[in-house]
Amino acid sequence: MYPFGKGKARLIPYLYLSIPLLLYVVFGFGPSLVTVLFSFTDATGVRGQEWSFIGFENYKTFFGASNAGDRLDAIGRSLYFAFAVVIIQNAVGLFMAILINKKLRGDKLYRAVFFLPVVLGVTVSGLIWQLVANPLGGPAQSLLNFFGTSSNFFGDYNIAFELIIFVQIWMYMGYSMTIFLAGLQTIPSDLYEAAYMDGASGWKAFTNITFPMIAPSFTVNMLLSIIGALQTFDIIYVLTGGKFNTTTLAFDVYATAFGSGSADYGLASAVAMIQFLFVFTISMIALFYLRKREVEV
Amino acid sequence: MKQSRTSRTISYIIVLLMLALYVFPLFYLFNVSMKTQTEYLLNPVALTEGIRLENFAEAWTKGSFSQYMWNSVLYTGMSTLLTLILSIFAAFPLARRYVKFSTLIYIFFLISMYLPNPLIPQFSLINQLGLYNTQTGYILLKTTGTGIAFLMFVGYIKSVSRELDEAAAMDGCGYTRYLFTILVPLMKPILATGIILTAIGVWNDIIGPTIYLSDPNYQPVTKGLFTFYGQYMNNWPLLACGILIVTLPLVVLYVALQRFIVGGAMAGAVKS
Repeated sequence: MYPFGKGKARLIPYLYLSIPLLLYVVFGFGPSLVTVLFSFTDATGVRGQEWSFIGFENYKTFFGASNAGDRLDAIGRSLYFAFAVVIIQNAVGLFMAILINKKLRGDKLYRAVFFLPVVLGVTVSGLIWQLVANPLGGPAQSLLNFFGTSSNFFGDYNIAFELIIFVQIWMYMGYSMTIFLAGLQTIPSDLYEAAYMDGASGWKAFTNITFPMIAPSFTVNMLLSIIGALQTFDIIYVLTGGKFNTTTLAFDVYATAFGSGSADYGLASAVAMIQFLFVFTISMIALFYLRKREVEV
Repeated sequence: MKQSRTSRTISYIIVLLMLALYVFPLFYLFNVSMKTQTEYLLNPVALTEGIRLENFAEAWTKGSFSQYMWNSVLYTGMSTLLTLILSIFAAFPLARRYVKFSTLIYIFFLISMYLPNPLIPQFSLINQLGLYNTQTGYILLKTTGTGIAFLMFVGYIKSVSRELDEAAAMDGCGYTRYLFTILVPLMKPILATGIILTAIGVWNDIIGPTIYLSDPNYQPVTKGLFTFYGQYMNNWPLLACGILIVTLPLVVLYVALQRFIVGGAMAGAVKS
């Protein structure tokens, strides 16, 4: 029952709700749908230029023979990036959350520091690691020199992409950890005491109490990081600008539409659609298994 | 529960090693920012020979950070304020089911995460509306009533007793007055989290300004820093100062609101 009056007064919540709703439809939902449409056209960023429907031409171009290798590489890297980030970020985040939850001295400080990169943002975090991994005598290079080797780091075709993955995890591990910590704090400590009395501790307590009890925060973390990892590309933009074999599908969407000398909106939209298929399929599969696991426990 | 001493010691060692991985780059950044260019070139890794605050003044002028900084403050302040108001407008009636099809509308808002990237049509639209390269356009783009703040608010409002609405209405309090004089004060902790997470998102965005703001006079500090990086790639002490300048305002805000983050991140996350 709505308590704030009848007649005209009943319409106020609708009126207020319509503002965010309108913004969402005009700038979010609508453009998402139009992306589907755009992907079947030859629209460009050139002002006043006519455009027309060209069927599946953009998709054919994407998988076309001339650059099929590059495109498949970008798809492969997108998946590699997503799996590496999701697994490592959550594993490390959960592990650190469990350690910090042991009421170590200074736990508030650790929490604050691990979350700090989220606050610093991608530009600052990226440049900080550029500085640390400066090939001309930065600390990372000094360390490698000590072991008698050296590297170009973000300028090295073989490891640039792995380094980007590392920085991405470094940035967001604290976020996963924070969500896990909140989940861990809801577990009553007498559960562990009871388990301890029964002779279960360490790994057994983890698999039988901790892991089942944090199922909701596990689901949230997994989903957020899967979707995030498949869609993010700002870290690539900042660290390598897509050079040195570091492009992904998400980066390709940006580069095809807004990169230097490129304004192919049709093709970029087709890439966005292919990216969408991956995001949708993978997150639905993940959601299915995660929910199933939640129900079982 | 009793924990063995060795297990605690090992925990400390792991946490401290991890801490080093986070603190060292920041410490190194600070160290470099204090050096002269010669000092840096001779030995980048060595400790600085003195405190040189004048490096910051130099970076501030050379990077024209005052203009960028003002733009960032403007965008972040306006978008965050509008986002919070719109999120309350959306979250309250949906959490209480005071409008028809509440669940459906809620799901409608949620699916945006999974939908195709709206970037390209969005850009065309902004262009057609004449909002490309304008401050108003950018603030509008960064304002949303259906983002992370909205999700957190829905969860939080559900935990606020419904009877409060009824009691206030009995006393003749209208919908608008209820939202701003009774509900908002009750939402303080989650508002703080909403503010910091929304502000972080707007302040730190680098792709948005790259696409929507080509005029340097309108660009925020992230884009300014990135341009600065392009110009002074070889002068790391100056660059390090620039990075610290960009970092400082958010770190201050973060330290002030830090205690709200853990609770808030969870409140929004699990209930969504």
